[in-house]
Amino acid sequence: MALFSRKARAPRADGEKGLGITRKYDLAPGHSYVVEESPPDISFDAFVNIVSTVDSGGKKSVGLAVSRLHSDLIRQKYGLETTPIYWLATRAGQDVISPTNLGILTHTLMQFVEDNAGGIILLDGIEYLVSNNDFNKVLRTIDQVNDHISQSQAIMIIPVDPRAFDQKELALLERNMEKIASRPKK
Amino acid sequence: MKILVVDDSEAFRKVMIELLVRVGFHDTTEAKDYDEAMQVFRKERPEISFVDMILPGKSGVELTKSMLSVNHEAKIIAMSSIINKKMIREALEAGAKDFLLKPTNEIALNAVLTMWSD
Repeated sequence: MALFSRKARAPRADGEKGLGITRKYDLAPGHSYVVEESPPDISFDAFVNIVSTVDSGGKKSVGLAVSRLHSDLIRQKYGLETTPIYWLATRAGQDVISPTNLGILTHTLMQFVEDNAGGIILLDGIEYLVSNNDFNKVLRTIDQVNDHISQSQAIMIIPVDPRAFDQKELALLERNMEKIASRPKK
Repeated sequence: MKILVVDDSEAFRKVMIELLVRVGFHDTTEAKDYDEAMQVFRKERPEISFVDMILPGKSGVELTKSMLSVNHEAKIIAMSSIINKKMIREALEAGAKDFLLKPTNEIALNAVLTMWSD
């Protein structure tokens, strides 16, 4: 049974064509990951690498990205052709989510998780969401999506600029997520 | 294991070599363009070469082909700051083993080295 009414956004995700390169990030299904960084290079690299490669079992993942960067810039830089990309902005338009409309954001992400088993979400722009909303509201949004992820085979990556938050806020943001960590040294 | 880094940006080469040292690979060498890379490649015989696809003069794809004609067992990893599928395909067809997006990081670098170092 569908989680949401037909009114909710339901991003259609088609897989990217494989690049024929190695899968470099070993992220576990059903987990959300936080990456403390600015700019969000590791997060984008991980997201793009996972949607453009196959896992050890030969399985592809479809992705959904939400970012403060305009989707055209993201497509141009990362070669994404079919992955749905939402721009976090106050301007009206297609594939734009207002930073103050946390309800639509939550529905979009949760619907994607429901529709795409093993999908991957990149949620970039947490700082922008917090600057447009009460911190606790943003935290509740992330927790809600995170709970949904943990009951699925999906993955979520959230880049966070640690300079934008105080210690308590950072701890609250990261409490139910794992940090993307380096593989063991050779 | 000897590793060669080819990039026209001195700053990037420095960062890349620091990363390589951090992930445990200390025997590194560098070059800024096709000619210097071929000279270093012939002399130092690196097992793995990280090659920027956009170089002044001859391209990274041409460099990949030339390197493999000297030593077909060498492992070339293509690099670029954007993902251009056509360029990546050309690099792989020229014999590159893998691709790294710049600026790279410890996780991606480790994965590539784990995959391609013997």
